[in-house]
Amino acid sequence: MIELKNITKVYELNRHDKVIALENVNLAIEEGELIVLKGASGSGKSTILSLIAALSKPTSGEVMVDKKHISKLPDNFASIYRRDNIGFIFQKYNLIPTLSVKENILLPLIPLNPHAKEAEDKIQAVMQRFHIEHKKDAMVRQLSGGEQQRVAIARANVNNPKIIIADEPTANLDEKLSEHFIEILRELKALNKTIIIATHDPLFFGLDFVDREIEIHNGKILL
Amino acid sequence: MKSKINLYLIEFAINAILRAKYKNFFIVTIFTLLTFLLTSIFFITNSVRYELDSTLEALPQITVQKMKAGRQYEIDVSVVDGILGIAGVTQAEARVWGYYYFEKAGVNFSVMGINEYENQYKASFTELVESGKHTLYGTSQMMIGQGVAKIMKMNYYKEYFNFIKPDGRLKKVEIAGVFDSDTNLESNDMILMSQDLVREIFEIEESKATDIVVHVANPEETTTVASKIKLMYPDTRVITTKDLKVSYQNIFDYKSGLFLALFIVTLFTFFIIIYDKSSGLSSEEKKEIGVLKAIGWRVDDVLKEKFYESFIISLFSYTLGVALSLAYVYLLKAPLLRDIFVGYSQLKTDFELPFVFDIQTLFLVFFLSVPIYVAATIIPSWRVATLEADEVIR
Ligand SMILES: Nc1ncnc2c1ncn2[C@@H]1O[C@H](COP(=O)(O)OP(=O)(O)O)[C@@H](O)[C@H]1O
Ligand SMILES: [Mg+2]
Repeated sequence: MIELKNITKVYELNRHDKVIALENVNLAIEEGELIVLKGASGSGKSTILSLIAALSKPTSGEVMVDKKHISKLPDNFASIYRRDNIGFIFQKYNLIPTLSVKENILLPLIPLNPHAKEAEDKIQAVMQRFHIEHKKDAMVRQLSGGEQQRVAIARANVNNPKIIIADEPTANLDEKLSEHFIEILRELKALNKTIIIATHDPLFFGLDFVDREIEIHNGKILL
Repeated sequence: MKSKINLYLIEFAINAILRAKYKNFFIVTIFTLLTFLLTSIFFITNSVRYELDSTLEALPQITVQKMKAGRQYEIDVSVVDGILGIAGVTQAEARVWGYYYFEKAGVNFSVMGINEYENQYKASFTELVESGKHTLYGTSQMMIGQGVAKIMKMNYYKEYFNFIKPDGRLKKVEIAGVFDSDTNLESNDMILMSQDLVREIFEIEESKATDIVVHVANPEETTTVASKIKLMYPDTRVITTKDLKVSYQNIFDYKSGLFLALFIVTLFTFFIIIYDKSSGLSSEEKKEIGVLKAIGWRVDDVLKEKFYESFIISLFSYTLGVALSLAYVYLLKAPLLRDIFVGYSQLKTDFELPFVFDIQTLFLVFFLSVPIYVAATIIPSWRVATLEADEVIR
């Protein structure tokens, strides 16, 4: 379903300095698979995620999703691709703190300009699934870390995407909440979503429902 | 694609405005002040110019004054006959008038001697005569402007006024009526009475006059006639309406200049805001755009939202500024500003600004402000939105 073919990503810092974030990376991910990308900080995990989400373009190589050339999409089409296919869970949640829970979850729906009823139903459904409904009118700023995490997950799922991408999802959570997140992950896996998680949190290692753990080192996949 | 307006985007924009409420409050304040000042200046300028034009229209085409040692002197009435001999002249009259300084109130009245044939005052004079009881000619009566009436009343002169003649004796003149005139600027401080009465009050001899006004059949010939008069009577100054227009315009421009200064200060602040906006977004703002793009917003969606945000702010400020300006100029009669623009006469009386509302002014002010602000908001957002979102969300 997702294919990275011979990907190299170079960041040009200035005329003389550059960082090779990824080098000749090949990776194929099947539909419904749950992948954990592990590796030290700076190894290139986030870069892989942003390539799959079409948030950046590879320097060379190709990213294919459902046999489409994601890496060649013009910016506007990349946005539409994300809107329809990707749910993004960021490390720092990236919620808008002064909007309510409901308003934050609505954000991915706004460009679709849905009917009020349709939007309401979708938001209601994810708020229930991720147990945040009781706080729906609270300002995100006033929520605990775990609650903000659930809002972020609800937002990532409101468009019912096929692919869920999570970058260091437990970096700001204590152990209890991290374990709670892993339970949520199990639910998402049961919904047959394709899930890719970048993390260096050992809690994710050796889980029964994880299909593959892939280690990245210095921009290369260790086999 | 649905073409209907995306209310979610508008709601989001309003939320975004409220989130930065202190900053936006400041922007709205400056923006409103700018619109208010600009619109008020234009409104007053237009009104005064309108007033000026109608005043000048009513003035004689040519005025002839006798000059001696660089100052104006009384002119011989016999000059009228000489001027009437010039081809193209349809009318020439000797006028008797002057400024009467009312010491108690510290103001000047313009005292004008009339005869009923003089065009300028014909209408109001006729009106008064037709109202039945008044014939001014030869009696001890006068008609006064509203401003004069007000000042006289304040000094307990309701039925008559005592003029002090140059020899120190009093001349009591009855107030026959207060005249309305559609030209306010000059007639407000005006007193009309018979020429004989004016001669008595100012001690002007029968054979002398203050000046001579000349009417020419064909306005195109005004300049030619003026130079002929000058040739015949080298000791006169011949003023045409055209000259007057220029000198009025000069006073007027000087006064607008003062306000230009105030205006520039506001404009300066406005440009600081614009500069601040276009010099780049805060990292918070950048990050927000990045996040929105990561969750599926297109560049268009981001820009539309920014457009709504800036358009709501600028349109709100513009509307508020214009509304305040309308209230200030036409309801409150433009206190402070009016004194600066309307200062021709020494008389400190109420001056009614005619309501000259022109849509062009509103368009001009609109295009000077709203699109500039909208562009200054959208352009930096566009720059950020077209970057790789990857860079802004890390
Ligand atoms: N926008 C960028 N500009 C320059 N260098 C970058 C940028 N993003 C990432 N890098 C570099 O690329 C390498 C890989 O980064 P990243 O994919 O974020 O690693 P990880 O997520 O595994 O910590 C790092 O050396 C990082 O400094
Ligand atoms: Mg990372």
